[in-house]
Amino acid sequence: MLIRAQIAMVMNLDKCIGCHTCSVTCKNVWTSRKGVEYVWFNNVETKPGIGYPDEWENQERWKGGWKLDKDSVTPRMGSKPGIIKNIFANPTMPTIDDYYEPFTFNYSVLHKGSKFKTPPTARPHSILTGKVMEKIEKTPNWEDDLGGEFAKRGMDANFKGVPKDIYGEFKNSFIMYLPRICEHCLNPTCVAVCPSGAIYKREEDGIVLIDQERCRGWRQCISGCPYKKVYFNWETKRSEKCTFCYPRIEAGESTICSESCVGRIRYIGMMLYDADKIKSAAMTPDETDLYDEHLNLFLDPRDPDVISEARKQGIPENVLQAAAASPIYRMAIDWKIAFPLHPEYRTLPMVWYVPPLSPIQSAANSGDIGMNGILPDVDDMRISHKYLANLFTAGDEKPVKDALKRMLAMRAYMRSKTVDKEENLTVLEGTDLTPEEVEKMYHLLAIANYKDRFVIPTSHREEAKNVYLKQSSCGFSDGGCDDNQKIKNLFGGI
Amino acid sequence: MNDYINNFLFTYFPYIALTIFFFGFITRLVKFNKTVQAESTQFLADNKVKLASNLFHVGIIFVFFGHLTLFLPEWLYHMVMTTETKRMIALSMGSFFGTMAFVGMSMLVFRRFGSPRMKRNSSFMDYFIIILLLIEIVIGLSAALRTATAPIETYAALGEWAQAVVTFQPDAGLILANHPLQYKLHIVVGLFIFMIFPYTKLMHMLVFPYVYFFRSGYQLVRKRS
Repeated sequence: MLIRAQIAMVMNLDKCIGCHTCSVTCKNVWTSRKGVEYVWFNNVETKPGIGYPDEWENQERWKGGWKLDKDSVTPRMGSKPGIIKNIFANPTMPTIDDYYEPFTFNYSVLHKGSKFKTPPTARPHSILTGKVMEKIEKTPNWEDDLGGEFAKRGMDANFKGVPKDIYGEFKNSFIMYLPRICEHCLNPTCVAVCPSGAIYKREEDGIVLIDQERCRGWRQCISGCPYKKVYFNWETKRSEKCTFCYPRIEAGESTICSESCVGRIRYIGMMLYDADKIKSAAMTPDETDLYDEHLNLFLDPRDPDVISEARKQGIPENVLQAAAASPIYRMAIDWKIAFPLHPEYRTLPMVWYVPPLSPIQSAANSGDIGMNGILPDVDDMRISHKYLANLFTAGDEKPVKDALKRMLAMRAYMRSKTVDKEENLTVLEGTDLTPEEVEKMYHLLAIANYKDRFVIPTSHREEAKNVYLKQSSCGFSDGGCDDNQKIKNLFGGI
Repeated sequence: MNDYINNFLFTYFPYIALTIFFFGFITRLVKFNKTVQAESTQFLADNKVKLASNLFHVGIIFVFFGHLTLFLPEWLYHMVMTTETKRMIALSMGSFFGTMAFVGMSMLVFRRFGSPRMKRNSSFMDYFIIILLLIEIVIGLSAALRTATAPIETYAALGEWAQAVVTFQPDAGLILANHPLQYKLHIVVGLFIFMIFPYTKLMHMLVFPYVYFFRSGYQLVRKRS
């Protein structure tokens, strides 16, 4: 058993209002530079829709993630020679037109220009060519709030096995938001396909980073990532990706997207897992079993055996404490209401989602749809279960349905307790939930206090380097005394 | 050609070019290693680059390794083939892969000059290198054409010259004194490319990720350091 700690996130889609605050704060912090204008480490998609970049979930087209072989998993892009063969021109790499052409507006004309004959306008200019764009064709959230025709949105890969024409009709249409960041997978394909070895997973918290000093711009990672969350900086011609705001995480703070989330939908916590089992989990033959096998990777942070073994393997005490209090563990394992995004890519992603309930209560109360005893019947929800299952459990509807039932039961129970002043225990039947657990669930999901949402241990930088060696060295400088400058002559000698 | 110029270009210039090459090569790798990378523009422009880039790269790699056979001494290759056979192989392989590189490079030149996005995001060096390589390929192909009709000695002399240079023979330039202009131009431009090589984006070929094949497994985990 090789115990590792992983920082993980859960997003409660039931509370996401699609305001894009996470995207904007992330943009301001990380990607407001030349070459990455088009890049959104965090973006919010309206589902159903093809997303950003175009059809990112269509792996027939983009060849992201892993495919199952007889005795191993290999990147869908191909074996090692197959990947190297593609370094002259990557056949499955999205180009900037699959994202959108970045643009700006020439506002200066509004206050510098002479008299206008027509009302003044600031026209969009392409950042790539500097020329006026007659029409903006696309942005990262072009389909926002079901924008555009259903024929295009209907190409969403999650409609597999869903009678989608029904959902194309206005009266049956549904909507949900899906905020996306890098999944910081346990079995990341981007790492596997990087010829330079520039992408790596940090041992202490599992954050996947690109070493900008080792990236040689071979571009394979962009195709390798099935979530299309590795981006090409066309100015530096190297790849960049979400960093899980590691400088903040190291200081015990939440990521900027989580910090700024107005709906308080994001949770961050530590998970302990057995790294020896990664390969066998990724090789699960049946796609629908991948979710369960992913759950089996995790170790119970309250189990004394696990704790003592983790201590032996050098996991710091504050990480163990954080893992024991992890909101992620509660939602993913104790209550089973959080799911990985597209487990069928076999990357074992670590940003999980609580599926959204869809409008049901009011319709149920008015008698339009069936009631299953006391609770409204989850089968009558507006969002197709198959659609949610295609997103979160490789098409297996049962776990998703059970999660929705638990969430409905929690609502009904808390309503009976706070409104009717009479605890209705019958609503909890068939959900494996005790009133105490429901209270805890309610506290975490509905109240969502800051300290409950973010349980992040500070990192142990003191272990990284012998800081005494750094004594009397430069603090901040513009060069001249960093490690790279120590080479006195060309041959690295004297 | 004037003796002085001939002597300069084919006896001394190779050493000047290679000295500048090795100086730049070492400084770049030691002091500016992080600046060596593939400068792909595939992301910005359309997908035509896929065919063009593959044609050019595959062609030029074969052509480059073909040129190394110039350093095979006569006694060595005579063990398996005659000079005529070697010339025939060189010509057929060279013209095939040379044409491939030429077609690919022409497409890349059109793309570089034709697309408004490329125009705005290309530096002088991008244009300079691409034109220089195209010129070198064209001269090389015309020299190959000439070789096909020239006496066998003309071909053999090229190898002798190359070997004379790397073994520091005096008067190496004399060997080529009466060669047709195509050969001389091809050599001078070629040496010039070598000379500027370490100071340009051409360096990317030296970081070809062969280590990838030897990496055990797929995943990379880094400890704190």
